Amino acid sequence: MLQLYDRFTDLAAWLAAWLYVAAGAMLGYEVAARYLFTAPTIWAEELSRFCLVWGTFLAAAALLAKRQHIRIGLVVDRLPMAFRRVAEALSLGFVALLSAVIVWHGSGIAFDSFERGRTAGTMLDLPMWWGEAAAPVGFAMLGVQAVIELAKLARGAPLPATDHGES
Amino acid sequence: METLYILAGLFTLLFLGVPVAFALAGLGWILLEVGGFSPLMVAQGMLSSTDNFILLAVPLFLLMSNVLLQGGVGRDLFAAVQAWVGHWPGGLAVATILSCGIFAAISGSSVATAATIGTVAIPEMAQRGYPRPFVLGLLAAGGTLGILIPPSIPMIVYGFITEQSVIALFLAGVGPGLVLIFFFCVYAMAYARLAGGYQGSDVASWTERRRASIRALPSLALAIFVVAGIYAGAFTPTEASAMGFAFALVITVLVLRSLSWDGFVVAVCQSMVTTATILLIVAGAKVFGKAITLYRLPQDLSAVIVQTFTEPAMFVVVVALVLVLMGLVLEALSMMLIMVPVLAPSLLPLGIDPIWFGVFFVIMVECALITPPVGLNLYVIQAVSRAPLGQVAKGVWPFLLMMLATVALIYVVPDIALFLPFNL
Repeated sequence: MLQLYDRFTDLAAWLAAWLYVAAGAMLGYEVAARYLFTAPTIWAEELSRFCLVWGTFLAAAALLAKRQHIRIGLVVDRLPMAFRRVAEALSLGFVALLSAVIVWHGSGIAFDSFERGRTAGTMLDLPMWWGEAAAPVGFAMLGVQAVIELAKLARGAPLPATDHGES
Repeated sequence: METLYILAGLFTLLFLGVPVAFALAGLGWILLEVGGFSPLMVAQGMLSSTDNFILLAVPLFLLMSNVLLQGGVGRDLFAAVQAWVGHWPGGLAVATILSCGIFAAISGSSVATAATIGTVAIPEMAQRGYPRPFVLGLLAAGGTLGILIPPSIPMIVYGFITEQSVIALFLAGVGPGLVLIFFFCVYAMAYARLAGGYQGSDVASWTERRRASIRALPSLALAIFVVAGIYAGAFTPTEASAMGFAFALVITVLVLRSLSWDGFVVAVCQSMVTTATILLIVAGAKVFGKAITLYRLPQDLSAVIVQTFTEPAMFVVVVALVLVLMGLVLEALSMMLIMVPVLAPSLLPLGIDPIWFGVFFVIMVECALITPPVGLNLYVIQAVSRAPLGQVAKGVWPFLLMMLATVALIYVVPDIALFLPFNL
């Protein structure tokens, strides 16, 4: 069951990766369309931003499962194992709490836009909630992932190694 | 007092190992709740900061450099530069720095630069008997050129936070980048002369030079195309990143035929990991920044700063010192995202140009990237070379001094940074 969820968030992260590629393809096409065909699109700018928003929030959960989020391990990684497990539990609990807050308020924002039929007021005039749903969806996945990681920890699973990102 | 509580809270969360993005957003939320402000801003801030056209350049520049990395462009670039300067004293070291500089012009990330050039240069230099700490320090420091020479992801983020022109920031990075390259090269040659013990390379024949240069030419052309296109106004930085990604694919798939499908997938996944981690931190920092602004923290701090420092020089020295210290323990981009919103209100009253400050900050971020115990470039070089972290750290400090000297130099001669953006 837990593995199944990991597979699901992995899939979401994989989708996120290709959403970024799609954004690149759209903007590449936009520049080509502008200069080669003198026919800029009305959708490239808006849809590519849409890819960025969804990509970022969809990837959050899988990155937590793989411990790929940037964190400061300087202090905590030098503590004795028992302390590290407690710190990890507190940290995951904090992530779960924050996720709940963002799901609660974020879905409120998106639902409000949905009910009022609010649109972006841009050329494409997409419904606002299409983009706004990304934060509650992504953080719902993240929150569940944090709880799952907590459960794994409580069952005595070893601490996963952290993986550094880049900047 | 409030400031102290907030700082204590922040460092507790960070040192507990809470991912930086969520530590910032979570603390922002707590501050909003405690201060009686609407917590709706947490979700709103996360959304609005990722829904941004400028930040879209982050994944696309990363895709571009990761595609080039997977396509083995580093090898070609290094071979070409080596063919020209390899026989100089410390020639391989000079070739390494120049390759880092050139790759920096097609990559916005110091980690990608260090990894790309490091993979080829470290074994080569080790084989020729260059002292190990020197080699590792050279690569860790050379890699940081990636974020000073445009394109640059930290500059995009800085432009986003301070609402400054990314193009002006990119242009302002060129001069200091060249100064650093010059310092590094001179140091490498002097070091090689004094330390000796390495085995020099032979002068490459003209046929070799021609062959190596032709293979590196597409990458060089790509660097010029991206940078010139932005400056000429043909496309925005974000569109340039998309074009760069497209041309990186053309070069590695069609021209060099060095990118496999598997390599492409690795590049895509690696870019996703980096983009999502960076943008979530940006989003978290936005929430945190909003919250401390409601507490009037940057405003109050700015008032104190303006009263305390009558001289901008004093301010810059103190900020540099604080950033060096923070850079020891904080991840580089997080440091920028935490500190810039706090310091930005002080710039105008002190008469410090925000573009100049951006360049200054990026060089300080470079220092943070190579100062142990927390320095991403150290980890990268450690991973590429499988050397102990201590050895990398030992080789890094002369470069750190040169970076700080560059900071002093651009303070005395701001035109090194500002001439291009103000006169082009």
